Amino acid sequence: MTTDFTALEGKSRGYRCLIAVLAIIALAGFVSFIISYLQGHQVFGSNNVIPWGMPIVLTIYLIGLSAGSLILSSLTYVFGREEYRPIARMAVFLAIVLIFGAMLSIAIDLGRPEKFWRLFMFFYLNNMKSMFAINGILYGGYFIISLVYLGIIFSGSRRASRITGIVAVGWAVLVHMGTGAIFGFIAAREAWFSPVKPLEFLAAALTSGVALLIVAVTLTLALSGRGLKKEVIASLGRLLTYFIIILLVLIIVDKLTHLYAPHREATLYMLAGQYSWIFWGFQIGLGVIIPLVILFNPRINKTVGWVVAAAASVVIGVFFERYYLVIPGAAYPMHYYSPGKIEGVWGATGSFALTPAEMILSVGIIAFLVFIFIMGLKYLELLPPAEPVNEIEKEGEEEAEKTENTAGSSEGQQDNDEP
Amino acid sequence: MARWGMVIDLGKCTGCQSCSVACKAENNVPHGSPEEHENRQAPFWHKVISVSSGEYPTVKTDLIPMPCMHCDDAPCVTVCPAQATYRREDGIVIQDFRRCIGCKYCIVACPYGARSFNYKEPDDEDYHRPDPPPERADRGIWPFPHRVHGVVEKCTFCFHRIDKAVKEGKKVGEEVLPACAEACPAHAISFGDLDDPESRVALLLASRQWLRLREEMGTSPKVFYLPG
Repeated sequence: MTTDFTALEGKSRGYRCLIAVLAIIALAGFVSFIISYLQGHQVFGSNNVIPWGMPIVLTIYLIGLSAGSLILSSLTYVFGREEYRPIARMAVFLAIVLIFGAMLSIAIDLGRPEKFWRLFMFFYLNNMKSMFAINGILYGGYFIISLVYLGIIFSGSRRASRITGIVAVGWAVLVHMGTGAIFGFIAAREAWFSPVKPLEFLAAALTSGVALLIVAVTLTLALSGRGLKKEVIASLGRLLTYFIIILLVLIIVDKLTHLYAPHREATLYMLAGQYSWIFWGFQIGLGVIIPLVILFNPRINKTVGWVVAAAASVVIGVFFERYYLVIPGAAYPMHYYSPGKIEGVWGATGSFALTPAEMILSVGIIAFLVFIFIMGLKYLELLPPAEPVNEIEKEGEEEAEKTENTAGSSEGQQDNDEP
Repeated sequence: MARWGMVIDLGKCTGCQSCSVACKAENNVPHGSPEEHENRQAPFWHKVISVSSGEYPTVKTDLIPMPCMHCDDAPCVTVCPAQATYRREDGIVIQDFRRCIGCKYCIVACPYGARSFNYKEPDDEDYHRPDPPPERADRGIWPFPHRVHGVVEKCTFCFHRIDKAVKEGKKVGEEVLPACAEACPAHAISFGDLDDPESRVALLLASRQWLRLREEMGTSPKVFYLPG
């Protein structure tokens, strides 16, 4: 059985409005990047205690989403699960868009972005002991491999796409473990230093990647008037359940190890400190408990609406996991001199202000990525053909703006709907 | 090759912070506004922390001057992707602002909080000395008086003084000292070659009990403290 793929015609009013809105938000983000470049990082909330802010949060989040959705595409192209074929191309394309966004966010976070090329002077001008340099190889290679992978998928050769799929998935695993190692190898920050971090990142990547794919696929297909078999979403929901459980186990292991280690104050701060409501409310509540309650409830775990709700909750929850790791995770003061308490500003817990420039920048990056994604839907053949399969309930999840803007983009697909 | 190190006698330190001020003046580190101090965005190459322990009436306060520790196994050197931070032959860990891409990974990795990021391009009035020093060639890689935003900076053990003294054949540690050691009114800070058994620092370390900060990090710092 072969599935044909089509592109969105993209002539409807809703599609154009959406493109315009996203372009404006992305432009605002670009303007705030220019401001930060001209005025320095004083326009951001980061400081010498919490050196990394929202761009790094976004980076590791987007990498996670990317690796997760690429690994999912392998279900079709490597393991031959035909039921996922209609969404597999979209998954690969989404992975490319997201890794591009991640590299963009890293470049924006650099103090001197025009010198980013030094990262890529491998073995010559850069330091290959640095996790950043190693990740430079991993991210760049990942971007290229996924582009090749998508190209081979377009060419239609099953054997070749299978081989590239295996390489791409292996590489995606490396990318994510490498990202975890950026944090896990830093001995100075007690809340980060952990051998479990790479694995935790991988689990979080798979979880959030599957979740985002569920949300994105359902929204795109629903809004472009296509249908997807209910069983596909339900089985993706099952997959999501396993990933969430793995993630939960790793979070618990990570926290427990830290509570037994000599430096437990930083972990106690993470679990019960000033910002621990982010951990319990978002990372655990939205990221683990709510989705598990939905996905384990036999009455609703096969309904598309509820699975998408659980997935959206995971997408938000994992975002706050990243946020909590990068920003409050660095806030706990270091004990330069062990007995006693460091007085004054040098021993104070770090604070972080979410400045307007930083928020606009982050929203702009996300808008830019959605922009590329829906442009890709128009110019590349990513979508399954429009069929009158109306098993899917229309969803209006958290992206309300998207819903109202794209409702009209359905009419273009009638010309190629042979199965 | 010498291996420069510093010995700080905590028994002599009065916590006057002359060292921090002298460091700012010598290296022309921007003052930073009160808001920047509060936000922790002001650059500091040298700081004096006060650590209090115990309950009233048995309270003790330790005053610890903290320059960069110039670790032999420096985490910042390991993590810097651009080779902007590197360990010189003589053990000084240097930060080359021209190579720095501003990723701040070194700030994250440093266990001593010795590094500062330039959050803005400082105005002329932010500096202690707006005029460039006469012999700029000796200033090496640091662009006094002006810096750019978006790069990381840190203590250099006043390598420009050391390099000049070595070139002129003066004795480092006696005739020439880093700015903080020179400014200390209590002579609590000694500087010299750790490998030379006759140097002041080596004699101090041989004669007294000493400690280094955060030994558990395995960084082997070259700043030693003599407990008071």
